[in-house]
Amino acid sequence: MDEPHLKRDLGLVRTTMLGIGGTLSAANFVIIGEAAGMAGYAIVPIVVICGLLSLLTMFSYAELGTAIPLAGGEYTFAKVAYGGFTCFLTGWFEWLSNMFYAALSAIGFAYVVSYLLPQINLALTAVIVVIVFSIVNLRGTKETATAETIITVIVLAILTIFIIGAGSFASGNPATPQSASLIGPLGIFAATAYLFELYLGAEAVAAAQAEVKNPGRTIPLAIILSAVVLIALYTSVVVVAVNIVPPQVLSEQSSPIAFVAQQALGPAGAILITVGLAIAGLAATNEAILAQSRVLYAMSRDGYLPKSLCKIHTRFCTPHVAIIVGAIFTVIFAATGLVNFVVYAVNFGFIIGFSIVNLSVIKLRKIAPHLKRPFKTPLYPLTPIAGISASIFLALFIEPSVLILGIELIIVALLVYYIRMVGHHRIRIAFGGISLGLGAFVAFVTYLLGTNSIVLQGVSQGVTTLVFYVLLFVSIIQILAGVLNMIVTD
Amino acid sequence: MKSMETKIILSKTVGVIQTGIGVTAMVFAFLAFYDIFGIQTMLGVSPESIGLYLWVFIIFGMLSTISGLFLFYER
Repeated sequence: MDEPHLKRDLGLVRTTMLGIGGTLSAANFVIIGEAAGMAGYAIVPIVVICGLLSLLTMFSYAELGTAIPLAGGEYTFAKVAYGGFTCFLTGWFEWLSNMFYAALSAIGFAYVVSYLLPQINLALTAVIVVIVFSIVNLRGTKETATAETIITVIVLAILTIFIIGAGSFASGNPATPQSASLIGPLGIFAATAYLFELYLGAEAVAAAQAEVKNPGRTIPLAIILSAVVLIALYTSVVVVAVNIVPPQVLSEQSSPIAFVAQQALGPAGAILITVGLAIAGLAATNEAILAQSRVLYAMSRDGYLPKSLCKIHTRFCTPHVAIIVGAIFTVIFAATGLVNFVVYAVNFGFIIGFSIVNLSVIKLRKIAPHLKRPFKTPLYPLTPIAGISASIFLALFIEPSVLILGIELIIVALLVYYIRMVGHHRIRIAFGGISLGLGAFVAFVTYLLGTNSIVLQGVSQGVTTLVFYVLLFVSIIQILAGVLNMIVTD
Repeated sequence: MKSMETKIILSKTVGVIQTGIGVTAMVFAFLAFYDIFGIQTMLGVSPESIGLYLWVFIIFGMLSTISGLFLFYER
């Protein structure tokens, strides 16, 4: 089951750096401001709680990553443990999460840069970043752990300078604490669900196990070390930030940490932190685009998605169709520029992924008790059960519109899965009927608009007429599509 | 044979248009939900009921897209 073509040359330090680097995105330092507005000074313990909750699932990643030495992360774990629809659903959400994460990183980059260049268009900047890195990925990237390590060290160094510099400023000039508003447990849970995103990406350690020296020892250690470093890092940044700038003021900034650096270290500090976070944002966007395209590629290769998605470009040797399809969706979400929506969307996808990873640990312990496990999740089965419970609990506090979108994405996943796995004929006839129904519905709305039974407010007669003809066209297309789908001959 | 070719061309054309309609409906749902370009005011929709419109447009869009893709990939 080993992958002989991958060389095991990652030691503990570089593996730990993978875990840290995987999570360091510019967006994380943007959403800290928003979360400070939601939770006030309670943001400090929330950052620690999020890290500990994430660590519960990281143990499961470590167990599966060392027991199943194949590339692919959650998707591969679910494939071994469950197969079928669970495997498909895992891959589906792994792809969506990475796609949303790419959009979020690009938006985060735009927000960070807008601190120094306030005239830039946030959505347009995010879209350009996605397009540029999609092209970079199309042409092929020699992504090495060394490059990742260098970027992580630079960002860590900048953040350490910020923490020490701003920390000493804060101790000399403590901010007048604002009256701590009582947000209550619901507010704390909501902020926890929002900030859960901070630690996403640390699972990169388990995904890279095929290249890790002595994975049985290195991976668990690297996961724990990266979690400890990240908890310490984020907590220090947040403590320093809320000690210099009150949480409410922090939440009003496009780049809260750059704003804090400006207050504590002057313009040079703001520039330094902006450069550091911008580098982190670009690196995270690139990695997420790469990751989402590889998931699409793997699902297509396994027959879950159309074969065209696993086509390899003859010149660049990259899965170009998967990259382009993923880039189109990423651009759409990056174009919204809606940080909160995309944060919750990322969290929803990862919450599903984390739950399935924990379930896979439990399932494999039952069906494959003799599987060689160089690392075992401590306190089994309490740890994976706690991980699942925490994930489900946090999902309850996700923004309702994202929950609706998430449920719809599960329905779409079901449809796509059954369309791929079940005979087309019957499904096409069903969709023919649905299209006819939709056509009839739109025709009815068109009739109501034509007879002035419904009126578009504040719109000229010309626009109403245009809407009428558009609806008429849509109803004709839907009816035509319904008929064509129903007369299919297999 | 000729009629089969005509049907395939028609299916692909209608499939592309229907997919386009579906994607447009879903994008429109998000524009309306976040009131971009003042769409909520234009449609006279209250912020409380916008969630329902989001549902309707996204479901309409998804079904249209899938149906359109079926037609497009018809062999």
